[in-house]
Amino acid sequence: MVTSTTGLRRAVDGPAGQWFGLAVRLGLAVVWAWAGLAKVSDPAEAAQAVRAYEILPESLVKPVGYGLPFLELALALLLFFGLGTRIVAVLSGLLLLTFIAGITSAWARGISIDCGCFGGGGAVDASQTEYLQEILRDTGFLLLAAWLVYRPRTKLSADAWLAT
Amino acid sequence: MSEKNREGKRTARERLQEERVAEEARRKRNKKLAVIGVVVAVIAVGVTVGVVVQNQRSKPDTPVAAPAGAIGTKNLVIPDGPANAPSTLVIYEDPRCPACGSFEREFAPTVDQLQDQGKVYNNYHLVSFIDRSLGGKGSKYGANALACAQDAGKFRDYHDVLYKNQPDETSDSFGNKATLISLAKQVPGLDTPKFEACVNDNKYSGWVSAVQQDFDKSSYKSTPTILLNGTPIYPKKGDEEITPDNLVKWINEANAGKPLGTTGPGSASPAPTSTASESNTPPSP
Repeated sequence: MVTSTTGLRRAVDGPAGQWFGLAVRLGLAVVWAWAGLAKVSDPAEAAQAVRAYEILPESLVKPVGYGLPFLELALALLLFFGLGTRIVAVLSGLLLLTFIAGITSAWARGISIDCGCFGGGGAVDASQTEYLQEILRDTGFLLLAAWLVYRPRTKLSADAWLAT
Repeated sequence: MSEKNREGKRTARERLQEERVAEEARRKRNKKLAVIGVVVAVIAVGVTVGVVVQNQRSKPDTPVAAPAGAIGTKNLVIPDGPANAPSTLVIYEDPRCPACGSFEREFAPTVDQLQDQGKVYNNYHLVSFIDRSLGGKGSKYGANALACAQDAGKFRDYHDVLYKNQPDETSDSFGNKATLISLAKQVPGLDTPKFEACVNDNKYSGWVSAVQQDFDKSSYKSTPTILLNGTPIYPKKGDEEITPDNLVKWINEANAGKPLGTTGPGSASPAPTSTASESNTPPSP
């Protein structure tokens, strides 16, 4: 029992854990890059995806719709290089919690929208809403971010390079 | 004496050691602050540049090129029928929306007849949001082709042909410009080199996007949205279901005691003259 916990601990903190961390970090980077790129091409569509949540006032719809994809791309870039991994993972987690809260709120208020998580978005037919899948998906991404908050030291990262 | 000396040496060594530790801690803290600074800078610069660029890209809100005879404060509306008719039917439709297709197939003959009797003036908003949820280009290209048909004075006929040949919502055949052009052959005189160029160049893409943005900002969320003299009538007006018979009845009720609009050749699309259509446009504030 004791040996197995220390074994696990050694695995998490050792090189194997850091390689796993690299995979998690790059995985989350791909998620953010994909989400950001999908929203960059059509600013009007991105703004409408935000407007459809009926949470933000009209004056904030465009700044958020236009800026959010670039925030996601910036997080992707930082995760890719592994710079400030823990703080970037914390920001990623906060952003994902915001998304989950937004989707939950839309679901609870009974409005029918697409989350616009990876492009698209806006009002859809009530039969086309996928709130549960969207929340579960974001929760999965949240686990990736949580791991990096817990163990931010990963292989091939700018953080590791700076620490030497 | 020697005792004191040794003590002094030790404290000096300790002090040196402490300083080294403090130096190390300072170095680490500075590094950490630098990393946080870089992270914040990357995010701040990225988002600021992004917002500015996207703002620039989505200007101007008023499209440069609107199809001939378009009306409304920003020329986003396609008029159809007699501009001086006593009733106005405002219709928001997406070329790919199945409910719009069934509405058109069921009601087009009735609406055309009401127009030809001078009873109603149609105002079309050609929205294009299905492309967003299902992917593809069919809504946008379809709306552009309708604008091209408006230029050619064949909006109504081409509009009817498109909805009669509407593909399944998930199939994006309107996203193929060749399909839109081949359907134009069903409207006599529409398939000209000018029309084909207009469709192939996606000439009114900016206008189509502006029409959609206008719809985005409206309180309407689905298509078709149909307003008779400002009152929503789809799928119901009050407790009454919309049917061709009810539509005729509602319009006759609204028109009671009012003179009918001017009909005759050319009263179909586009509106006879641009001045006539403008006179029916509410003045912008």
